[in-house]
Amino acid sequence: MKNDALKEMAGLCAKCGTCRTVCTLYPHRKTENAAARGKVLILESALSGENADPSAVQEAMADCLLCGRCERICPNLVLYEEIVMKARADLADEVGVPAWKSVLFGKVMPSDPAMRVLRKAGAAAERLFLKKVPTGSGLHYRFPLGFLGGGRTVPKLPAKGFIESLGKREGSFGEAMLFVGCVFDHLYPDVGRAAYETMKASGKAVSVFRGAACCGLPALVSGDRKSALENIEANLRRLREAAPPAIVFPCGSCLLMFKRNIPMLFPEGTPPHEDAAFVAGRSTDYASFILDSGVVDRLPDPPPAERPGEIGYHDSCHLTGTLGKGPEARRVLEKAVGGAFREMEGADLCCGYGGTFNIRDYPTSARIGENKVSVAARGGTRIISAACSGCVLQMRDMAARTDPSLRVVHIAELVRRALS
Amino acid sequence: METSALSALGELLGKRLHTSLETRTCYAIDATRKKFLPDAVAFPENAEEVRRIVGLANLHRFPVVPRGAGTGFSGGSLPVHGGLVLSLERMDRILAIDAANLYAVVEPGVVTGTLKDAVRKAGLFYPPDPASLNFSTVGGNIAECAGGMCAVKYGVTRDYVLALEAVLGTGELVRTGVITMKGVVGYDLTRMLVGSEGTLGIVTKATLRLIPHPETVTTLLALFPDNRRSADAVNAIVAARVTPSAMEMMDRTAIDCVRETIPVDLPEGTRSALLIEVDGGELSAARDADRLEEACRSCGAIEVRRASDARGRDELWKLRRSISPALRRVGAVKMNEDVVVPRSRLADMFDFLADLSARKRVTIVNFGHAGDGNVHVNIMISGTDLEEYRRAEEAVEEVFRGTLAFGGTITGEHGVGIVKAPFLEMEVGPAGVSVMKRLKECFDPNGILNPGKIFMEEKAGPA
Ligand SMILES: Cc1cc2nc3c(=O)[nH]c(=O)nc-3n(C[C@H](O)[C@H](O)[C@H](O)COP(=O)(O)OP(=O)(O)OC[C@H]3O[C@@H](n4cnc5c(N)ncnc54)[C@H](O)[C@@H]3O)c2cc1C
Ligand code: SF4
Ligand code: SF4
Ligand code: SF4
Repeated sequence: MKNDALKEMAGLCAKCGTCRTVCTLYPHRKTENAAARGKVLILESALSGENADPSAVQEAMADCLLCGRCERICPNLVLYEEIVMKARADLADEVGVPAWKSVLFGKVMPSDPAMRVLRKAGAAAERLFLKKVPTGSGLHYRFPLGFLGGGRTVPKLPAKGFIESLGKREGSFGEAMLFVGCVFDHLYPDVGRAAYETMKASGKAVSVFRGAACCGLPALVSGDRKSALENIEANLRRLREAAPPAIVFPCGSCLLMFKRNIPMLFPEGTPPHEDAAFVAGRSTDYASFILDSGVVDRLPDPPPAERPGEIGYHDSCHLTGTLGKGPEARRVLEKAVGGAFREMEGADLCCGYGGTFNIRDYPTSARIGENKVSVAARGGTRIISAACSGCVLQMRDMAARTDPSLRVVHIAELVRRALS
Repeated sequence: METSALSALGELLGKRLHTSLETRTCYAIDATRKKFLPDAVAFPENAEEVRRIVGLANLHRFPVVPRGAGTGFSGGSLPVHGGLVLSLERMDRILAIDAANLYAVVEPGVVTGTLKDAVRKAGLFYPPDPASLNFSTVGGNIAECAGGMCAVKYGVTRDYVLALEAVLGTGELVRTGVITMKGVVGYDLTRMLVGSEGTLGIVTKATLRLIPHPETVTTLLALFPDNRRSADAVNAIVAARVTPSAMEMMDRTAIDCVRETIPVDLPEGTRSALLIEVDGGELSAARDADRLEEACRSCGAIEVRRASDARGRDELWKLRRSISPALRRVGAVKMNEDVVVPRSRLADMFDFLADLSARKRVTIVNFGHAGDGNVHVNIMISGTDLEEYRRAEEAVEEVFRGTLAFGGTITGEHGVGIVKAPFLEMEVGPAGVSVMKRLKECFDPNGILNPGKIFMEEKAGPA
């Protein structure tokens, strides 16, 4: 493995160990390998030729949730996430993307028709293979087998995705454009709809980015640069053409892609970088849009809370941690649900999803996630709200595992309830 | 390490023995950034396992290097002769907090900050507070006798270790010290182990003294136009008969480094800063803070900032806490010394260092625990220029000679490790070295524990 730029970036690490104590993974592994300092060391030994086993290095680099907590505390401003993403991409070029990942992200996720087929097949498969479990947030199914991690619950696959459910002309023109994201389109179309409807309450015309490909995050963090770029370039081209004044993301991870990761992929001064910067400049999170477009001011005063403090807000790593978008959602919640909202115990604990990490090591992902929702529940929270697709997916699974009456919702669903 | 030794260890520890190159790489460094690959890394979970590992080490004659969080600045946890790194990070339970008798019993892998938080909940205080408190371990703190910001008022780790359980180099498990306030039975083995840098025994349990938590803390950040004026302020504060719970000094280069990595707004002309803390009852702390502010202003402070709430204090501390790692920006290689001089000689010491920096043409960044005369002298070099490296090495030696001439000591808290081993004799003399070596033989006759540290010996591996 050779990459001078990467070597220089890694070289900034002072080996101080500050990152150890904030690492989401470290308490579960209890070895240096888990935290950023260890990863940087392993990478440096690969870059210097001391470690000549790229598969082993790839394994080591894969063992991370990319939650970014280490990067945010690092006194030396080591760009850890960028380092790991670049390293994963280099290693994938060298030894290939692990097979399951390439199938999942290269083939299935980005293409909408494939997703539709999967969903149809899934609906049939559910009846055959999955066990129903009762939960507060609609029907879930449980994988009875070890496949994909025993005990995992998955959402009931809907018959129609959100975009598919739109009328022919619906959402075809607007000053603000909704980028709904794969999860809120295909798995939780109702969240997509809630985002869409509440955005319309601003009085602005709202369009839906119908031809969207996946934002490319899963592929990118897996090192599958090729698949990621295919999606990214398609998205950029269409967004540049449509040139909406605002692009609104109900999912913090998608937003992070557009705001930070995609511009980072292209050298400054090149046309794709300009496109990426153009799109990044117009991209915003759901809560900020609700605040800035005046939807919040149209919300009726919330009735006195029946159960004060039952609603909490989860700080997604990408949305709050990296992009600093946390206060906005809280202001929305204070207006939408009033006294029912209270700062939640462990609000900034990572949910443990970590994108592909959840599939790579489901038992650990689940331990982190179970702890997350249990801490919240012990603190009195009954409804966890969030604004990132991975977090909603993960915390619904974790709630179903630990406490089926605990509910996990997107803040758009709460805003919609307040409006109606 | 022989394969027979490895397989014996594997039998004992199972999956808790790691031999992969990846793990060995992760345990090859500490905060000195020097690198020595161990042959294996062990993660014991209790004292009995540690005892058996040391037993195997005596049988097969392999080095055992205890390790906490690997944040040391003197290379203490580096396996310079290879062998086994024995990581204590999984022995991280707080076993008891006894509020009636004011002590806590902990395993060595407990992170110091975690302990401080836990006793705080019981209204108690474990004072030692190295800047690394949020990531270094109690075991590592004990082995290095870590000091911190509050040493000026509360002392250092040594002053809070009541009793220890440790596995000696012989493989014997000993219990030292007492849990009572008094106790004079025989030699003080506890003090022998504190600061012994993992060369005499492996601490497997520690009983630590606690005190009631002070009611309030007020932090002041005083900004000065030069080092002499802040050094004067230190003496003015002492003369005002206030004992601050922290008194930290930062020079201009240190301030500039941090400025590059985190946003801090400081007034024009700031060339030196003092961070001072007072604690105690609400009224007395406020009165002390007033006196301090007065002392700083009379010594020429440009500005004095003050905060009593957690958030504001944190903001003021940010400057100080960020220095050490941020130094990386000034030079790729840092020679980091932590000398101590009598407090009244601080200003002279800073003058001496400024002169040395000019004479040797190397950047020297200074900051430290001014309250107790502990100066962190950081000689920053590129690491690629051999001539510069030679000048820096000369500068280090002069720093030590200068410190001793002022009546000081060559290391206040980081320990000797490998980086100060060549200078040990300079401070303690041949007879001192000789008795220390004989003590080492008593505790560790086969030289199993952390070889290559403290004492000069045949040239160690590559840096
Ligand atoms: C940013 C930063 C700031 C720092 N600030 C300070 C400061 O203000 N004051 C200060 O004193 N130090 C400071 N240090 C240095 C360092 O944190 C201390 O020396 C600390 O005590 C080391 O603890 P550790 O757990 O990392 O031990 P390690 O570095 O892992 O080990 C240190 C030594 O202890 C031995 N050891 C570890 N555990 C045991 C055990 N259970 N039994 C026997 N021996 C053991 C090791 O063999 C080694 O010799 C700082 C370091 C950094 C990176
Ligand atoms: S906190 Fe930053 S500089 Fe320190 S070890 Fe971690 S990555 Fe390196
Ligand atoms: S990104 Fe998260 S899981 Fe990965 S090393 Fe950093 S803190 Fe740990
Ligand atoms: S965050 Fe995940 S689900 Fe949302 S669009 Fe991006 S990849 Fe798809």
